[in-house]
Amino acid sequence: MTNSEMAQQVQSHFPKSSVASRFHNQLEVVTDAAQAPAVLATMKSLGFEHLSNITCVDWIKYNRFDVTYNVWSYQHRIHAVVKVSVERRVNSGEGPEVPTALHVWPQAQAYEREVHEMFGIIFAGNPDLSPLFLHNWQDIPPLRKDFDTEKYSRQAYGVGGEGEGEAQ
Amino acid sequence: MSDWVEIKKIAENDEYATYDYFFGPNHPGMHGNFGYVCDVVGSTIVRVRVNAGQLHRGFEKLMEQNLWFQNISLIPRICVVDPDPNEVAYCTAVERLFGIDIPVRAKYLRSLALEMSRMTSFLMGMGALGAMMGLYSVMYRMLTDRDHLLDMFEWLTGHRIYHMYNLPGGVRRDLPEGFVTKFMELLRELEFNLREWDSLLFENPVVHKRLKGIGTVTAEQAVGIGLTGPNLRATGFVADVRKDDPYAAYPYLDFDVITTEGGDALARAVQIRKEYEMTIGLIRQIIEKMPGGDTKVFLGNPLKFRVPSGDTYARVESSKGEYGYYVVSDGGLKPYRVSVRGPSLPAGLALCHEHLPGMRIDDIAIWMASLAVCPPDIDR
Repeated sequence: MTNSEMAQQVQSHFPKSSVASRFHNQLEVVTDAAQAPAVLATMKSLGFEHLSNITCVDWIKYNRFDVTYNVWSYQHRIHAVVKVSVERRVNSGEGPEVPTALHVWPQAQAYEREVHEMFGIIFAGNPDLSPLFLHNWQDIPPLRKDFDTEKYSRQAYGVGGEGEGEAQ
Repeated sequence: MSDWVEIKKIAENDEYATYDYFFGPNHPGMHGNFGYVCDVVGSTIVRVRVNAGQLHRGFEKLMEQNLWFQNISLIPRICVVDPDPNEVAYCTAVERLFGIDIPVRAKYLRSLALEMSRMTSFLMGMGALGAMMGLYSVMYRMLTDRDHLLDMFEWLTGHRIYHMYNLPGGVRRDLPEGFVTKFMELLRELEFNLREWDSLLFENPVVHKRLKGIGTVTAEQAVGIGLTGPNLRATGFVADVRKDDPYAAYPYLDFDVITTEGGDALARAVQIRKEYEMTIGLIRQIIEKMPGGDTKVFLGNPLKFRVPSGDTYARVESSKGEYGYYVVSDGGLKPYRVSVRGPSLPAGLALCHEHLPGMRIDDIAIWMASLAVCPPDIDR
């Protein structure tokens, strides 16, 4: 099966999502948080059994997060990039929320914990979103685009301030 | 904080006490900045926690602040023993977004560097596995051979460990004069040494006794948890990125996917040995079939290099499994986002909770070495 045939098949299941084939063996599915569990479960039943990773892209200028699932089908040899777009509600109390993919790919646990602590995405239904890499982190999630690495380094390590480090 | 720095007594009765046992980051059996905190009763593990994060995704954040070409010097550092898959995955993603195809000779040179890197990594991995069982002579012998390969790398690329050989658009330099002759001699020597390793390691009864039954996974479990590469093929599952999602010169090469039945540490060791032999064959094939021509496409001033906006995922079969780079561009001078898929993350962070409880302390290092858990690609 080619990626354009697979794209048609996915599109027929989810007419509201945007599905496109690209490059020689890739597939792009853009959906929203409400449809995400159905889309991911369907993708798995269509043969996308290998979850390469879950990651997130912070589109600060469009005010949205793209939670991205990279999945691969051993059977069809097609790669699918499933993007779940959520509004970038970082200052409100609720935070951006995406349903968990744990019931589809159990190994999503490690990736969801990571995306949660690096971007602040809440995976609804995941029982354990405790920090995995960061220890005693007080600042905003660090892989977000509004996190200022220079300012953080100055505060945390007290170096490179105004005029400091030049005279000596 | 205090519960992470002190040895904590968890429970105690008249006969025994349960303690927190730190396996890493400073431990002879741990090769990297990573650790497991185990609750142990006697020498048996009952629960394990992951102590990761000494690199806290600093690589990914740093890549967003560098130019597209600058990242080449950063990327190989994600995996010390097998750096080239990182470079190739990143370059493939960039080239795909840019919409160019590189010269065929450059593809062959990439495959050559990848296979050489795979050999160095296997030697390090097998040596480490031997050392974890107390067979240090295996490690010393294998590191000698690895050093000979590193000499070749130095000749080819100018660097021993981090080669920075691949660039978007091709490779940095062509084969030096006299390289092929010397390299063929070395390959004969390495192939000859395989017999010695068979007697030292693979046919050693001690090794069989220690490895048999450690960390057994079935093919179904392995796919479910996301294991790839030799770990997946050691369960009998036929999958190889080089065949399934070909890159570099692999579409032009003739090879079969090798598998082993069993799924335990012994099967994985046998699988690595088979793949090592296959790699020697692949290198011979690459050198034989390599056509002439250019080694790179000039993409303009690296300081002003821009990649058209878009995103793609490129995967490469490394010695440990699937290395993937998800690269996003917004059309700017720097990558908008680079996300790395490390091959040892599923084993190191997920599988440990299933396998380590019930195991003895002395088997943790063997379990890690047999699954090739490489901490830097968990943290990156």
